[in-house]
Amino acid sequence: MMPKLFLPKRSLTKLVLAAALATTALTAPAALAGPKFVIGVSNGWIGSEWRTQMIDEVTEAAKAYGARDIQVELVVQSATVDVQGQIAHVRNFINQGVNAILINPNSPTAFNPIFKQAKAANILVIATDAEVSSPDAMYVGVDQKAWAQKSAQWLADTLGGKGNIVAINGLAGHPANQMRVDGYREVFAKYPDIKILNEANANWDQAQGQQTMKTLLATFPTLNGVWVQDGMAAGAWRALSEAGKSNIVATGEIRASFLKTWSDAKLTTAASVNPPGVMVSALHVALHRLQGKEFKDGVFKGQYGNAIYVPIPLITTASLPDALKQVQGKPDYTSVTTALTVDEAGAFFK
Amino acid sequence: MILYRRPWVAALAVTLLLLLANLAVQPSLFKPAIMLSNLSSWLPLILVAMGQTYVVLSGDIDLSIGAIISLVNVSVVSLIGAFGGGDGALLLAIVCGFAIGIGAGAINGVFVAALRLQPIVTTFGTGILFAGLALAIMPDAGGTVPDRVFETYAGPLLGVPVILWILSLAVLFVIALGRTRFGLRALAVGGDAQAAFQTGLPVTRVRILNYGLAGGFAALAALCLIGETATGDPLLGGSYTLSSISALVLGGTALSGGTGGAIGSLFGAMSLGIINNVIFFARLPFELQSLIQGIIVLAALAVGTLVARR
Repeated sequence: MMPKLFLPKRSLTKLVLAAALATTALTAPAALAGPKFVIGVSNGWIGSEWRTQMIDEVTEAAKAYGARDIQVELVVQSATVDVQGQIAHVRNFINQGVNAILINPNSPTAFNPIFKQAKAANILVIATDAEVSSPDAMYVGVDQKAWAQKSAQWLADTLGGKGNIVAINGLAGHPANQMRVDGYREVFAKYPDIKILNEANANWDQAQGQQTMKTLLATFPTLNGVWVQDGMAAGAWRALSEAGKSNIVATGEIRASFLKTWSDAKLTTAASVNPPGVMVSALHVALHRLQGKEFKDGVFKGQYGNAIYVPIPLITTASLPDALKQVQGKPDYTSVTTALTVDEAGAFFK
Repeated sequence: MILYRRPWVAALAVTLLLLLANLAVQPSLFKPAIMLSNLSSWLPLILVAMGQTYVVLSGDIDLSIGAIISLVNVSVVSLIGAFGGGDGALLLAIVCGFAIGIGAGAINGVFVAALRLQPIVTTFGTGILFAGLALAIMPDAGGTVPDRVFETYAGPLLGVPVILWILSLAVLFVIALGRTRFGLRALAVGGDAQAAFQTGLPVTRVRILNYGLAGGFAALAALCLIGETATGDPLLGGSYTLSSISALVLGGTALSGGTGGAIGSLFGAMSLGIINNVIFFARLPFELQSLIQGIIVLAALAVGTLVARR
């Protein structure tokens, strides 16, 4: 491949053109009788396997529509880009004339103008994983606040409503992080005997989670519980076991590697599921809408009044075997996933 | 000689080649509406790259330019709110935005040229400072500007799209500047600072002015980004630092200073934008998108260099 880079310019053009034509030919879909929809998928960050799994799952789900005689063509754009780069994704989708756009957005507010243009071009826009403020788009995914409340409630119950705890959060200033903080604070506020000694940030990074847990353990010897977000919980648990603190309970996460440790070491933990399948749920909602169905009254919730929330399972030690079965034989980084079925998504419609 | 005086010719050739590739995968490319929407995606980088060119021409570099964009972005959005959101407030906030951009650039210039600190390390440091200021002003993405800001930005003025006005004025400014003594001095300083100094050129002043100019262009790019996103984001500008340098190198400006020009950077920035389009419309599997993009950027650089050598 390398020497071809230095071909004279004319051959290079040919090469680029040939490559382009070849890819178009390869992806040319087989003809089906049913309706056809083109759906743009924009993912603005590739720093986590969760995102890869999200795209793999939605790709599978789109293929599965073939069995229903509906042809769904996905156009996937996935790269670590800034907001302006992701706006370019959306703009290209508009220029291409897709029917709908599914987006995992890099900003809650910056897409308002471009979503307005998408709507003017009659394109349905659904954000997932992070809510957007645009009235011209909607959100399908978990309620991050409720996500935090579920595991916080488990922690409060497990501690018998009293004890000293710390919280380890993700990225300060990130909207989902803020909603989660609001969520657990609300739960723990109901228990006057639960004291939050410290709230630290470890940027959704396992190594930082582990380091932060170590520091917190050294600072607060009387700790009873830890509320830690996913992406850092495995690290925090490593620090707990290194320190031999088997009397401390902490929340966990949904990756296969952690579930195995949980099972092997018989940890006292629980994990709220933020499933990579949220984009599949969004796809199903999009297709119902694209086939002309109208939303029922009152399905939209959330601070922007444009959110459809999907159920949030909580994995506990009791349900751990089922979770383990789901990720059996899959790579260590695989997350437990759930998604609405086509019919469940249909329940939001008249 | 022609290429020496017009280093952008090779960049133009590469841009045209890439446009052909883009056309092959996106047949509707040359429709006015499509070209215009492409242009609004590319415009901020075009402006930043043009500004960065002046700094690089005089042998320096500005690694804080992305942070300056973020700083101007959050400042202007906050000021529009603070001033009340009327037309006068918008104008005043825009003027303040330029002042902040040019001021930040001039601070870089004073550190580098007058105090003789090393440019890479200095602007890396001031970049952290400016980014920190932006975070202090607006800790979380948000804030809104009146709808008419982005409606005006996306619309026409006197029958011509606003973004086309901005681009044309920037290009005219750059061409006019190239014909003044200042333009020649910038090249001379970058070519051989000592010789320039010995022949009596105000080397320090030229370098500071170039940094100020880069700050001004960064401010204009930040304003365009407000027109595009209608919001403030303290992390908005980060990626523009390296993209602007890639764009100007693709545009034929030498990182060692002395040769090149802002018109080349225009084509360099366009090339980067077109490459993104090619990747988009070629329907590559998402796992390969970043890889192919890297290969095409390298190839474009190689072709540009080979053409320029002939």
